[in-house]
Amino acid sequence: MTKVSRLVLALAGVAAAAGPWWLGDGPMRFLSELFLMLAMAQTWNLLAGYAGLVSMGQQVFVGLGAYSPFVTSIALNLAPFWVLPVAPLVCAAVAAVVALFLFRLREAYFAIGTWVFSEVVSLTISKIERLGGERGMGLPTAKLIDPRWLEPLTFWLSTATAAGAIVGTYALLRSRVGLGLMTVRDNDLAAASIGVDVWRCRFVAFVLAAAGCGLAGAVSFAATLYAAPSLAFDPNWVVVMMFVVLIGGIGTLEGPIVGVIIYFTLRELVTVVFNLSAGWYLVGLGLAAIGVMLFEPAGVWPLLRKRLGGDWLSVRRQPPATQPIGGTAGDSAAG
Amino acid sequence: MIWIETMVNGVLYGGLYGLLGVGLALIVGVMRVVNLSHGEFIVLSAFVGVSLAHVMPGVHPLILLAPVAVIAFALGFGLQAVLVNRVVTRPDPFASILLTFGVAVVMRNLMVEIFGADPRNLPAGRLAHASTTIAGLSVGVLPILILIMSVALFTLLQLVIMRTRFGRIVRATADNRDVVRLMGVNPGRVYNVVMGLALALASVAGMLLAIRSSFTPYSGVERLLISFEVVVLGGLGTFWGAMVGGIALGVAELVGLKFDPNAGPLYAHLLFLVVVLMRPNGLFGARP
Repeated sequence: MTKVSRLVLALAGVAAAAGPWWLGDGPMRFLSELFLMLAMAQTWNLLAGYAGLVSMGQQVFVGLGAYSPFVTSIALNLAPFWVLPVAPLVCAAVAAVVALFLFRLREAYFAIGTWVFSEVVSLTISKIERLGGERGMGLPTAKLIDPRWLEPLTFWLSTATAAGAIVGTYALLRSRVGLGLMTVRDNDLAAASIGVDVWRCRFVAFVLAAAGCGLAGAVSFAATLYAAPSLAFDPNWVVVMMFVVLIGGIGTLEGPIVGVIIYFTLRELVTVVFNLSAGWYLVGLGLAAIGVMLFEPAGVWPLLRKRLGGDWLSVRRQPPATQPIGGTAGDSAAG
Repeated sequence: MIWIETMVNGVLYGGLYGLLGVGLALIVGVMRVVNLSHGEFIVLSAFVGVSLAHVMPGVHPLILLAPVAVIAFALGFGLQAVLVNRVVTRPDPFASILLTFGVAVVMRNLMVEIFGADPRNLPAGRLAHASTTIAGLSVGVLPILILIMSVALFTLLQLVIMRTRFGRIVRATADNRDVVRLMGVNPGRVYNVVMGLALALASVAGMLLAIRSSFTPYSGVERLLISFEVVVLGGLGTFWGAMVGGIALGVAELVGLKFDPNAGPLYAHLLFLVVVLMRPNGLFGARP
């Protein structure tokens, strides 16, 4: 990370912490939604862009993340925000168990296997009367929160979740596991032959991505005070994650950031500026996806980076500077 | 007796599921493209069928299958020629996935804007409820017709692919798209026809499904999931495997609904997970 990106991040952190005092309710709600989507997209990026695991069932972790704090909060009669950590724990545990089974499947099979698993969980929850069945459940413990604090709290938590997802992914990718992941993604046979534990690297990524996704889902639904299977386990969650990552640039940390900005700009442009129904922004979304794949398949970020230059959030390791011998060598290393 | 009846209905229903998936199996087998807009094309053909039935009242929906299949073939040909062929040679699998995903999102929401989001179905008159008694079992006439049609189409597809000159070209292209160019085959054109065929098959299934149960512009996602399950259960790229996979899912779903009425497709999904976890390459795929 360069000095400039560190400075930008520090300033953004201060601005976010002071957010409730200078942002109106509308912009704050909008940004909360944006940050949660960014966090989810970043976890999908970790899976598809670095671990080579294309999951079409990540909505299962959004849903479990939504339901687990609801249940705990009601059982313990605690304000929902206190029990949010339950969500990533439950999701990580579920991910760790299903990984044992689903990791037997490869590529398209894995994608469909995760999707079907999510449908099974969703259908099962909608059959459990104690969880409200298909109608869903409200959050009576919401009365334990001062309503004035609901919006600011949601905003801080969303911001922290997004920042955590980005910093966490960055740290993971710079670690030994991260290096292993990238070798596995590029060529799993070669990775295995140099001693990388392919299964373990993928397992770590899958569990962490589930935890992140669960936390984002938990914050999102704790703010709306209501969860139903058709909303919490909606396949559209993963559809948007996919869209954001692939448009922005898969396999880069900046890609989902760019993607989420494009996604929300498009949405606001169509629904607010042109005042069209939500359907039309989805049409625009689809057209954008088609356009990106036809003309710039790596996504928008690589194109931007070429223009802007610099290293930004690159996880690339810099080779140690070569010691000039006799003051002439060293030039060959550049380039 | 009621259980045997349910099983038989499941088999008949499953033939339809097989037909939904076989087009997808064909595309995956020949060009290794995962078409995420498969479900939307199934739903679109049902809407075209409903519109045709509206324009030509009195014409039986089963006769409308022919024009709908022709329209679906043309749409598939166009989709492949204009869009998918541009990304099919790229090494990364995301290109075709995101492209067809974009097509799916555009189609779904245009259908909402054009046809509205209310549930529709394709009225088939008396045929929809007619039933007959075979060996003491009461079986619907329509499901039997559907199964006969599915088997006929499967057989036809198998013959076309295995026995004709065109089929040989398709198989050769699937094996190696660069080498067939040396023999004077243009892989792009082969792909166009294959996509057209796949969507024509899917459109027939989509119409038949629309007679049985209602649909909305949003039904494409469920249709896609069933198609995927059929393809994976059978083993990627095998036709008869898709048929068997479809029947297994149909039986699991109807039997499940019998003893647990609000389960939806839960038991079909569970069967899918169990089979795929035991045989990661599907029922008829090569063993790992």
